[in-house]
Amino acid sequence: MSRKLSEEEYNRQRLVRMKHWLSGEKDLYLDNVEVVLDGECEPDKRKLESYEHDLDEMKTRTYDTEHNRVYRFFQRFYKMAAVLCCVALVFILIMEVSYLPPIGSASNPASNEVAAKYIEDGLQDTGAVNIVTGMILDYRAFDTFGESNVLFIATCTVLILMRNDKKKGKGSAEEEERRDSHYEPKKDAILQMGARILVPIIMLFGIYIILNGHLSPGGGFSGGAIIGAGLILYLNAFGFEKTERFFTEKTYKVVSFGSLLFYCLAKSYSFYTGAHHLESGIPLGTPGAIISSGLILPLNICVGLVVACTMYAFFALFRKGGF
Amino acid sequence: MIVVEWLQFIIGIGFLLTGLGVFVVQVFGVFKFDYVLNRMHAAAMGDTLGIGVSLVGLIILSGWNFTSLKMALIIVFLWNASPVSSHLIARLEAITNPRLERHCEVKEGVTEHVWDENQKEIIRTQKAEEEE
Amino acid sequence: MEHPWIFISILIILSILLFFCLIRAIKGPAIADRVVAVNMMGTIVMVIIAMLAVYMGEGYLLDICLIYAMISFLAVVVLTKVYSGVYLEKIATEKKRRQKEALSGKPEKTEEGGGRA
Repeated sequence: MSRKLSEEEYNRQRLVRMKHWLSGEKDLYLDNVEVVLDGECEPDKRKLESYEHDLDEMKTRTYDTEHNRVYRFFQRFYKMAAVLCCVALVFILIMEVSYLPPIGSASNPASNEVAAKYIEDGLQDTGAVNIVTGMILDYRAFDTFGESNVLFIATCTVLILMRNDKKKGKGSAEEEERRDSHYEPKKDAILQMGARILVPIIMLFGIYIILNGHLSPGGGFSGGAIIGAGLILYLNAFGFEKTERFFTEKTYKVVSFGSLLFYCLAKSYSFYTGAHHLESGIPLGTPGAIISSGLILPLNICVGLVVACTMYAFFALFRKGGF
Repeated sequence: MIVVEWLQFIIGIGFLLTGLGVFVVQVFGVFKFDYVLNRMHAAAMGDTLGIGVSLVGLIILSGWNFTSLKMALIIVFLWNASPVSSHLIARLEAITNPRLERHCEVKEGVTEHVWDENQKEIIRTQKAEEEE
Repeated sequence: MEHPWIFISILIILSILLFFCLIRAIKGPAIADRVVAVNMMGTIVMVIIAMLAVYMGEGYLLDICLIYAMISFLAVVVLTKVYSGVYLEKIATEKKRRQKEALSGKPEKTEEGGGRA
């Protein structure tokens, strides 16, 4: 038999508080961690004066280079030590280089069976005509996953450092943006007309590059960069009011997190099934067709989405401090 | 059939050489003129005519395939983008040069709308700037 | 390709032109000069990439050519926008300072602001 909790008790529960905290309604540490002064602090004038006097004396003694013997000694010592360190480093590096094997020789450690295996069996294993894409998204897909995560983490860090939380009034994001790019020429009719024609072409081209990642050079990273460039061009032509209608912080969160999650799940599945020579259940298709090569196409799309969002987010954060 | 191939080759190389000539004229003009707005005239010629003629020559050389389609796309893209960037550069020069009428004819000064922080509009004219 | 020497010589002449463009970009007195020169270099590089694509018979190089066109256009857009914004802001702050000085009636020695960069 369950007991009905009162409103106050319910709010005090740990799970409920955690839910509030996660949804960003309340900051638990606000007013609890920071030091709060109790009462005005009265500066002691005599103490302050003596501190300043001491500071002046210390400065004059330290920067009196004419008579300070230690200072002069260390000045010379640092110069000599720097030169010595550089010479020693150059010597060590030259010694190192002289022990390297010659470029292009067949007995180099770089030209081993790994490269030969990729070139021979790449098409059969991955189904991708473009061996490079097959390598980075199939053999070494975990590495690419890490790269996408690095991009995501970089954006998160910039978001933490530069985001402007205030919604309205002085110091808000709109206000800062207005003050920062106030004098820039806006609403240029010729640029707007050009962007109206060019942005769709750029977007289509980026999508083409992403979708053809396993057939021709390119793939998620370059295609995503092109789509990001198109978004930045649109932003420069029309301003933040227009872009906010389709790209907000929520869009960014959902798109990047969704693509990273899909990437992780898909790749974990294929690693689990592929590592023990089990049947992965994903057909490779005929090499050369658009829908082929198993997981590479969706993974390319995921990487492209993450890169495009990151490009645009960096530009928007540095311009305005928000989306 | 060999005649058609030779014709294709000669016409393509002819277009390519014409494009090269346009590029030489462009670089010559950029060094010959003294002022940016005059130089831009020479530079924009290469941006549109030079690359257009060269890529038409390359399209004729490579024949009818996906490559030539992409080259046509490049021509379309540049013919849209190059006038816009020329306009932006000319505007930059008109804004940042305080002595514009020394180089070209300016009627009543160039006006640039500038807002101060209280949203009150200040209209800056080049002539007024000169008189100060 | 029957006559590769034609392509090679055209490529060499284009690279010499590229070098002259670089000289213009270094010498150019105004910022607009430099932007014009860089834009020109982008155009010539695009032609070089397209010629290489036809010469080597690798059609995918044209993708790079198109990307190059986009990026150089975007660079011009952002550069001109930011630079003219900075310049106008400098002019406006200088003007405000002068107005303040005229109001307070205390002429101070001021350096000439807002000169050409």
